[in-house]
Amino acid sequence: MKKVLALTFIMIIFLSGCSFGSYSYSDSFFAMDTYMSVTANGANAQSAVKKAKKQVLRLENLLSAHKEKSEVYRLNKNGSEKLSNDTIKVIKNALKFSRLTNGAFNPAMLPVTKLWGFPDKKYRVPKKSEIENALKLAKPEKISVNKNEVTLNLKGEEIDLGAIAKGYTSSKIIEIFKREGIESGIVNLGGNVQTLGAKPDGSLWTVAIENPDKNSEYLGKLKIKDKAVVTSGGYERNFTKNGKMYHHILNPENGYPAENGLSSVTVISEDGTLSDALSTSLFVMGKNGAERFYKKSEKDFDIILYTEGGKLTVSQGIADSFNSQLDFDIVKKD
Amino acid sequence: MNKRDFIAIGIVIILSALGFIFLNFNLKNDAQGGETVKISVGADIYGTYPLNENDEIKINTKNGFNTVVIENGSVFVKDADCRDRYCVRQGKIRNGSIICLPHRLVIEIESNDKSIDAVAG
Ligand SMILES: [Zn+2]
Repeated sequence: MKKVLALTFIMIIFLSGCSFGSYSYSDSFFAMDTYMSVTANGANAQSAVKKAKKQVLRLENLLSAHKEKSEVYRLNKNGSEKLSNDTIKVIKNALKFSRLTNGAFNPAMLPVTKLWGFPDKKYRVPKKSEIENALKLAKPEKISVNKNEVTLNLKGEEIDLGAIAKGYTSSKIIEIFKREGIESGIVNLGGNVQTLGAKPDGSLWTVAIENPDKNSEYLGKLKIKDKAVVTSGGYERNFTKNGKMYHHILNPENGYPAENGLSSVTVISEDGTLSDALSTSLFVMGKNGAERFYKKSEKDFDIILYTEGGKLTVSQGIADSFNSQLDFDIVKKD
Repeated sequence: MNKRDFIAIGIVIILSALGFIFLNFNLKNDAQGGETVKISVGADIYGTYPLNENDEIKINTKNGFNTVVIENGSVFVKDADCRDRYCVRQGKIRNGSIICLPHRLVIEIESNDKSIDAVAG
């Protein structure tokens, strides 16, 4: 009978081992001006998610341009600051994407977005002369990085890393997951989705792409693993004045909301930072510009473009993993 | 080991197998039922409501109120006293979520389509 007890005991351990194997832990919380969900699968899931959340809050306190005491806030105030590794990395990335996109990505637009009232949500339509003056400060090429010190060389120049910080953060969470031995996980930072590995049962993750008209079906569903999916569109934040809608993605060329017929842009890649930065940039470029950029780029990424007229275009790399009730065109690399 | 031991081991194995099947069956059963609207405030779930039943829910959070309306398969925030009123201006949604950041309020439509792991947007 003792043997039986021992075997029963072993069986219990074996079974609980099984459930440990499929153990999943999630947490949802508010940070970076948005709602976030973080899920890890695996024995160490709980500790991994806790560390991820801590990291998010830490990065928010470094990177937010609107949190007093954050590193970016201090940099904007003082014009020059010694900054921590993460902030330096994000700024360097922002400058890199600014060059790569020929200025469509511009981390120095804060003086202009402030005129429109986007940061403090006190919206207004600025005068053309105000915009022109503020645009003179929006010069990423006037930002210098020297080791761990960043200098904004124009008086009044201010940066905002909002169009890249969430992407950097989701990549960072995936790094934490890997370090914690997690092989499967998914994070959703206010619509910035990044996945690690496949689902616990080995199948691919399904990520739906929001329809800018939220009162209709999703644009489609993507089957992915190890990818970051970021969608940008004017529908995310906007205000209406005298019957006209103004959204938050400003065209760095003229300081007005980018209007070129695109309703949303989704970028899919292995790198959260790249997906985040490029989704905004390609939105600014418009449909033709975005397609041209995709065709010529050496970077490894895919795109989903949706126009105001309801036309859907998907790049060749994901055409087979994308499922939609809408018809879509496929754009191919040159 | 004698015969009795084998029988005992057999029983343990069968019980474990039954437990395993039962657990999985239960998980699958959870996926049934219509679409629901899940409302949460901060870390707490405030309530879940069927999307196909018209309803008006007034939520008093510690930061202010939101009046949520479920109507003909859509959800919207009819009124709120948050500073940006962004939740109200989002209008009607049939999928995804409405978030009122100042009130820490999340209104999520939980799709029938349990295959969706996340929504990018
Ligand atoms: Zn609100």
